[in-house]
Amino acid sequence: MSAQHHTDSIQHLYEGDQSKLYSGVLGHHYSDVKSPESKKQVKLIWKITLYLSIITIAEVFVGLYGHSTGIPNGVIAAFFLVLTILKAYLIVSVFMHLGDEIRNFIMAVLIPLLLFVWFIIAFLADGSFWLHMNSSVPTR
Amino acid sequence: MSQTSATAAPEKLWAGGHSPFKVSYGKMMMWFFLLSDALTFGALLISYGTTRFFSHVWPDPNQVFRSFPFMGEANLPLLFVSLMTFILIMSSVTMVLAVHAGHCNDKQGVIKWLLLTIIGGIAFLGCQAWEWTHLHAEHGWWGAFTDPATNPVSAFHHFFNPHKEAVQAALPAYGMQATHDFFNYFFTITGFHGCHVASGVIFNILMLINTVNGTYERRGHYEMVEKIGLYWHFVDLVWVFVFTCFYLL
Repeated sequence: MSAQHHTDSIQHLYEGDQSKLYSGVLGHHYSDVKSPESKKQVKLIWKITLYLSIITIAEVFVGLYGHSTGIPNGVIAAFFLVLTILKAYLIVSVFMHLGDEIRNFIMAVLIPLLLFVWFIIAFLADGSFWLHMNSSVPTR
Repeated sequence: MSQTSATAAPEKLWAGGHSPFKVSYGKMMMWFFLLSDALTFGALLISYGTTRFFSHVWPDPNQVFRSFPFMGEANLPLLFVSLMTFILIMSSVTMVLAVHAGHCNDKQGVIKWLLLTIIGGIAFLGCQAWEWTHLHAEHGWWGAFTDPATNPVSAFHHFFNPHKEAVQAALPAYGMQATHDFFNYFFTITGFHGCHVASGVIFNILMLINTVNGTYERRGHYEMVEKIGLYWHFVDLVWVFVFTCFYLL
């Protein structure tokens, strides 16, 4: 392969053109802001905003009053965890448009994050084991 | 390769010349950068969690974060951080609307929504500056609460839940160390997040200048808005986790 040939064949991959090529593929290109598809997308964005706000208000409410109701701490922590993951899903899927990418790409981004499952379990277990080993009087 | 054209198709997909993921190089690399940044933030938050799990006691967020600007000693737990969270969510919304306007090649829309995003980012940073100043005035800082001689229980007991007797009883032995760890992690993690917000505001300002100058209009697409938009949403996403770990749990 000659150098000349090589330069020619990658010329069209220069960022500007390449981006033009792919930013239209995912169905998020609209002819006009006032088109019905565009308005539908904007409506979806505001709907997700409403969901995020409601979830946050629910979290703050439970954060303020949850501990004085006698509900076990574990249940409250699980509640926060589920709502946090839900918020993360809404932001990543809709606001970051990851839901509109092709499946292989979604997996390329998400699968490495599975490391967190191991990280969290291993490190928190280690923390509580340390506490157990160093406690003479249980305080909580 | 002696394969039929049907079986050779997937091979060609990865043979170069176009993106098998159907995303441009820049956008893909932004995603992979965010992935690595997620691991960094994850490491910080998990190390916070580990320290918290091996501490006998831990400060109560409803006690630490109960002030609101200009409200003096009024007891308003979580109200200010809820405002901060709302500001950041709204700036994420204005950013996604800027990205949408970019998809429509609507220059005026991009300018309007980017401007609002910048205002939201600056408002968030202002709130954070206030919160840091307030906690610093309460003697919380990196490396604070290390010397038992100058930090009697009365110096930190108000950060802990006053209604749990077991916690109050453990304070003389474990309270100072827990307060020290809490503030170290708090300032490090919210500081690292704040740096991300500050860089995001700078990127947004640069993009706004480019948009006004018509750089993206001439280029034919607003993919830069999309890429920085990904970064901005990620910063919002990190705040969702910081909010849960520090203020709720």
